[in-house]
Amino acid sequence: MFKYILVINVKSKIVRCVFKMRAIWKYVGKRVLYVIPTLIGLSIFIFILSRVLPGDPALMAAGPNAPKWVVEQIRHQLRLDKPLWEQYYYWLVDLFHGDLGYSIYTKRSVTVDVVEYLPASLQLIFLAALFEIGGALALGIISGRYAYKLPDNMVRVLAYIGISVPSFVWGLLFQLIFASLIPLFPSHGMYSYGTISPPRVTGFSLIDSLIAGQFDTFVDILWHMVLPAFALSLGAMAQDARIIRAGMVDTLQKDHVSLVRAYGIPERTIFSKYILKPSLVPAVTVMGMDIASLLGNAFMVEMIFQWPGFSRYGINVMLNKDINGIVAVVLVIGIIFAIANILVDVVVAYLDPRIGRRSA
Amino acid sequence: MNKKLLAAISVIVVIIIVIGVLAAVQSTQKPQAEKKRLLRIGFSWPTYIDPAVGSDYSSSTAFTNLYDPLIFPGEKGVPKPWVAESWETSPDGLTWRLHIKQGIKFHSGDELKAEDVVFSFQRLLTIGKGYAYLFTPYIDSVTAVDDYTVKVTLKKPYGPFVAAMMRVYVLDKDVVMQHIKKPGPYGDNGDYGTDWLLTHDAGSGPYKVKEVVLEDHVYMTRFKDYWGPMTENAADEIHMLSLAQPATEKTLLTQKQLEISSQWLPEETIDALAKENYLKVAAFPGGDEFYIMMHTKKPPLDDIHVRKAIAYAVDYDTIVDQIFPGNPIAKGPVPSYLPGADPNLPTYYRDLDKAMEELQKSKYWPDIKNNPNKYAIDFHWIAEVPAEEKVAIMVAQNLQEIGLKVNVVKVPWLSVVEEMANISTSPHMVSVFVSAHYAEAGSLLESRYHSKSADTWEQNEWLLNETIDQMIEDALSTIDTNERYQEYAEIQRAIMELCPSIFLFDHMLKVVHQDYVKLPQDEGYYTGVMGYDFDGRLIEVLSTT
Repeated sequence: MFKYILVINVKSKIVRCVFKMRAIWKYVGKRVLYVIPTLIGLSIFIFILSRVLPGDPALMAAGPNAPKWVVEQIRHQLRLDKPLWEQYYYWLVDLFHGDLGYSIYTKRSVTVDVVEYLPASLQLIFLAALFEIGGALALGIISGRYAYKLPDNMVRVLAYIGISVPSFVWGLLFQLIFASLIPLFPSHGMYSYGTISPPRVTGFSLIDSLIAGQFDTFVDILWHMVLPAFALSLGAMAQDARIIRAGMVDTLQKDHVSLVRAYGIPERTIFSKYILKPSLVPAVTVMGMDIASLLGNAFMVEMIFQWPGFSRYGINVMLNKDINGIVAVVLVIGIIFAIANILVDVVVAYLDPRIGRRSA
Repeated sequence: MNKKLLAAISVIVVIIIVIGVLAAVQSTQKPQAEKKRLLRIGFSWPTYIDPAVGSDYSSSTAFTNLYDPLIFPGEKGVPKPWVAESWETSPDGLTWRLHIKQGIKFHSGDELKAEDVVFSFQRLLTIGKGYAYLFTPYIDSVTAVDDYTVKVTLKKPYGPFVAAMMRVYVLDKDVVMQHIKKPGPYGDNGDYGTDWLLTHDAGSGPYKVKEVVLEDHVYMTRFKDYWGPMTENAADEIHMLSLAQPATEKTLLTQKQLEISSQWLPEETIDALAKENYLKVAAFPGGDEFYIMMHTKKPPLDDIHVRKAIAYAVDYDTIVDQIFPGNPIAKGPVPSYLPGADPNLPTYYRDLDKAMEELQKSKYWPDIKNNPNKYAIDFHWIAEVPAEEKVAIMVAQNLQEIGLKVNVVKVPWLSVVEEMANISTSPHMVSVFVSAHYAEAGSLLESRYHSKSADTWEQNEWLLNETIDQMIEDALSTIDTNERYQEYAEIQRAIMELCPSIFLFDHMLKVVHQDYVKLPQDEGYYTGVMGYDFDGRLIEVLSTT
């Protein structure tokens, strides 16, 4: 008898799980469908914008004194001698072949540039995201739990400073204090002098160093990442901490909290299950977007710390009117935003199932 | 949920601890890096190490160290035999025979021969970028007579040909041809090795490429079999670094992680660093001059008297003392140290009485005094060079003293280039640094005042003066050096008389370097040729890292 009950129970659990998974995939599928037209729109917008900005890209690529025939050759190579719609059509065709065009800044394929520089930025952002989430949760919870008391006031002051000071100022400050005055961390780059860079497998130097068994290189890279990642994370960390705090203070006054307290449920459970979890919904949304926006915002920090990343590449292609580079950078940032958006929606749907049901 | 979360966090923490312990163990076993004489120099980026592609400051510095040019600039830019150990020209100046030095080895181990020189010329002319513009109007053909003789036939005589050959860097033909990619834009030669040469070299210079990260750095290591003279304490490695932030450079210099700063440090940063006893400041001529270019076809600057009034109203001393200290006031249209510059030109100086006198002679007087708004002058300064704003404001104040109104406008470089390409969109005045392309006055005279450069960023004057054009062409086709310099002097006098520009100062490059680095510039040495300032053959590094 017990055996049958167990089998039925397991079966119903599997069925529920399958239904849940289906619902999630349906939800994700819908979100992806929404994203596609957004990305096409973004590509058209940035494609046109990059071509109407002042400055002749062919002239920039050829150099200030190049003869006219060289400028025309480059114009032809970049298809700038064709109508705008035709340029876009060919760009789209090339895109489906994995070719993002020729970069007049690096003088090679933009695809190669993206493959080379994006992983460096993504691993920096990953560490910044860990700092951001960890710090925001810790500060937000302390602040929310001790609302209007000394710890809350201290966190609020810190949060104001964190929000109001831009990341590059933090970068300069950290570089001055922790790399120059108290040289605890390296001031620039990804590797120390003498460190052997790992053979490129994934492009993520941290992972590649582990694959190659170069643990000292792994530590060296991590050591180089601490200051830029922390500088990058502070603004978002402070903002998220404030949102978590606000959510918690709001939830604390809700009727259901008084009700569960009246039931005599332990305070620890009330806090984690009935206060913290619902308070995280708005914070998760903002956190996801903040993490995605780090890629676009990291350029100053990457420049200060000489981090060979995608954001620094982005600002350089813009300054050099590298039309294909500009389109690729904006598109990649757009895709990362879209992915972050979908992930945030899924996490929010998990935290608050009502949202998922409504959207589905 | 909490239990699952705790378990996940515990697993992650355990993984991090394990990795950390492994790393610590690994770190203790890490062999110490071999001590080397390192020379780390900051540059503004990008750097293209292919001599047929790059032509900016950092790229030219890379060529100097990775390659050997046909002719090398000696002190003050005087050409000295290098790969071409001697040369002769036909009486009409149309045929040149270059005799190639024997025994020069490329980094591949092959000997440098005449066919490599021919290949390097042809590759440069076919690609058409980099320094090709110095040769495309002149060279008809380049052929190898034998293993060590090259014959160059010109379409028309080219007086500064020897000086221009400082920009012909010799590549190893076999190595390049082994790395061409087909198909490419250059027919049978595919991409002519352009993709491979972005991150590799095919040279014979004192250094060879160790690592290139396009966005970030060029590392070079010493070539042990280098044929040429090297200083005793030359660097084992040269690291060219992309540095864009003065704060980063400051940190690196104080930590002794940078031997020589870039040339773009603000004056305040240089002053602050100069106080450190282990740092030195080197200032040396960079081959460029800072001009305020006046649009000679746009009212009221189309009147020579208005232009002269402006030239007499500008406060040169204050600009040089307060905004760009250490730079000598310009004495004419080309820097005074450049071969062929005339040191005895009549110059303009601040004299408000003379300025008013000239203004009263103009066809716009007295309307220009009564309706200053009608004749307002737009002064565009380059947004990327903040110090230029101070110059623009100073000039605006100076001109206000003689009743002229100036609108100071901040414009990004790309927009300036675009507006200067058209006579109607070019501003009244724009301030720009312009460099000589080779160490002779003729280079700047041609790029600044010949009509063919009127639609480029090097000339906002729109001088379009046929007499000046002819004088420049005649001078450039004069083979005899002294005679050519005489002709340059006449052109400079004619330009001073036309007063198309305000000649502010000869630009001195300033870098901060560690005291254990001995730059020849510390002893007053300079070439004045862009890219030859940081030559690994001459720089001594007296400390190892």
